[in-house]
Amino acid sequence: MAKIRVRYESGEPERVIEFDPREAPFQHDGRPASILDVLVGHGIPLEHACGGNCACTTCHVIVKQGFEKLAPADECEDDLLDKAPGLTPTSRLGCQAVIEDPDAEVVVVIPRYTINQQT
Amino acid sequence: MAVELEARVARIVEHGPDTRSLFLHGQRLAYRPGQFISCLLPVGGEMLIRPYSLASDPEDEELEICLDLVPDGPGSRYLYGVRPGAALRFTGPWGTFVLDRAHDAETVFIADGTGIAPIRPMIRRALATEPRHPVRLLYGTASEDRLLYRAELEGLAAGRSPFRFEHVPSAALRDQVARRWIEDDTGRSRHFFICGVGQIVPTLRDLLRGAGYERRAVQYEKW
Repeated sequence: MAKIRVRYESGEPERVIEFDPREAPFQHDGRPASILDVLVGHGIPLEHACGGNCACTTCHVIVKQGFEKLAPADECEDDLLDKAPGLTPTSRLGCQAVIEDPDAEVVVVIPRYTINQQT
Repeated sequence: MAVELEARVARIVEHGPDTRSLFLHGQRLAYRPGQFISCLLPVGGEMLIRPYSLASDPEDEELEICLDLVPDGPGSRYLYGVRPGAALRFTGPWGTFVLDRAHDAETVFIADGTGIAPIRPMIRRALATEPRHPVRLLYGTASEDRLLYRAELEGLAAGRSPFRFEHVPSAALRDQVARRWIEDDTGRSRHFFICGVGQIVPTLRDLLRGAGYERRAVQYEKW
């Protein structure tokens, strides 16, 4: 089983999800087996204002472990991450970062400010 | 999670047999030209999240969203079923595909179909902030009768305006972009804003960036 450990900058308690990527999708938003798909499909909210279609940065997560286990970002994701508040070298969009390895262990941090309401 | 807002459908304007605008009243929103709202639609016992660009100006009293009827799209089918007076819940504004003022270079907007929605307030903002360089729109639609906001666009382009727009068939967009801004012109200082549905958007992005335009000078939003 693959595992995602979810930590929060806000200090909320850590959550752990075990899942089989081959059973994806777990719900209807984001790419199947993406971090967004796994989290939302297991009852853990992750903002995704565009519906998980790689059109905003609200599902921005910071990958602390297992970055190399994720399918690489494409140009659309890179362009959006470029505008994400609090960007780090291991930032990904949850809706696009797919976990294919059934033995992957990934640790992500949900930033305190995931929104991009730049008004 | 984001704060949920609510507005009422004040009126519905049909642009054609399967394209309409909903005007939402009762919720003022501070947003930037190009941003979208994320509608929360109760469909089939669950809440669908569907983004819709704001076609209105931030200064307008009402919010306008513009959508096509997609026969197998539960979100658009739901919004085609609402009547004036209905409540609509949403979050936002969202999005980084924005234009706050005229660029210090020629600005080219490329819209395909209802991709004109976020570009419409961007054009108006660019023109309201005294552009010193041309502002252009290349607008592709499947057919002539699907051109939205025609009278408004023609009005903006009238007289000595720095704004010019041209309508082309959607299928010709790629070749038109290649001819105008790559083959017939060696300048690479323009800014592009591209919006539409599907593959045409990354196709134009790759075409322009591949021809030497800077990455950040080619902004886009793909639905």
